[in-house]
Amino acid sequence: MNRQDFITRLRAGLRGLPPPAIAEAVADYEAHFAEARAAGRGEDEVAAALGDPDRLARELRAEAGLKRWEAERNPSAAASAVFAVLGLGAIDILILLPILLWIGGTLLALFIAAVAGFGVGAVMMVAGPFAVHAAPVAALILAGLGLMAGAASLGAVAAIGAIGFTNALVWYGRLHLRLLRPALEPAAFAPGEITA
Amino acid sequence: MSFSDSKGAVGVVEAVQVQLKKGVLELCVLALLSRADAYGYEIASRLAGGVEMGEGTIYPLMRRMQADRLVDTYLVESASGPSRKYYRMTPTGAARFEAQKSEWTAFSSAVNAILGGAQ
Repeated sequence: MNRQDFITRLRAGLRGLPPPAIAEAVADYEAHFAEARAAGRGEDEVAAALGDPDRLARELRAEAGLKRWEAERNPSAAASAVFAVLGLGAIDILILLPILLWIGGTLLALFIAAVAGFGVGAVMMVAGPFAVHAAPVAALILAGLGLMAGAASLGAVAAIGAIGFTNALVWYGRLHLRLLRPALEPAAFAPGEITA
Repeated sequence: MSFSDSKGAVGVVEAVQVQLKKGVLELCVLALLSRADAYGYEIASRLAGGVEMGEGTIYPLMRRMQADRLVDTYLVESASGPSRKYYRMTPTGAARFEAQKSEWTAFSSAVNAILGGAQ
């Protein structure tokens, strides 16, 4: 493999990242080849010493994904972090998938329950006094309010769960992947302290 | 991948070894930069041989250290070719270096004491 092959494969592996990030990464390796040539080393030898460009691209891509999740906590960043980690092949998908589906399904159910509870509470509060003549109006309004508050807190719990879940996944990825926090810093392995 | 074929201990041991090397690699880069600023090729060629990692690994590592604000970069015109990107340790990096160095010293001397006792 010569310089051209290496750079082509690196570029292919980085496809989808922001163009400036790709340009910077490619520039690093181009400079490496240039320095090595000045030192009298052959391109094939240098490419071999650099290592597998696909693997390097996956490391760069995973790091970019994890950084994005740390910078912006939103669903799209979470998805890109999860896929970056999966892309590195660090997590055995067959082991992880059932767990992912189970936790994801539970969180989804919690969200749906929260939305439904909120809706029922709202209806009970607004329409209840007109529909149910037997019950006292104040009790219906209070019950509706209570149901809505309960649903809101359930939604909040589910949101915290979803954030914690993504953090845990990122943490797991960092633990097993190679780019990551040094083994010498046990504190940095605590889940939820990814920003340390 | 070491973890996808994990039937247990072998995968874990390998992952721990790689992890240890990664950690040591960061410490080594910080040690190098604590003496003088350096450019990528310099760091790669001085460290890769010693720690048995591909030279290319240095660049993702440098990018991460830069993102963590342990190092920053500046360009220097080179007489022989294109300008070189030099890495410089930040105060945060210096603090991290001191902390990691003392942890490493304590850890390795404890391990050495045990290894010496076993001989």
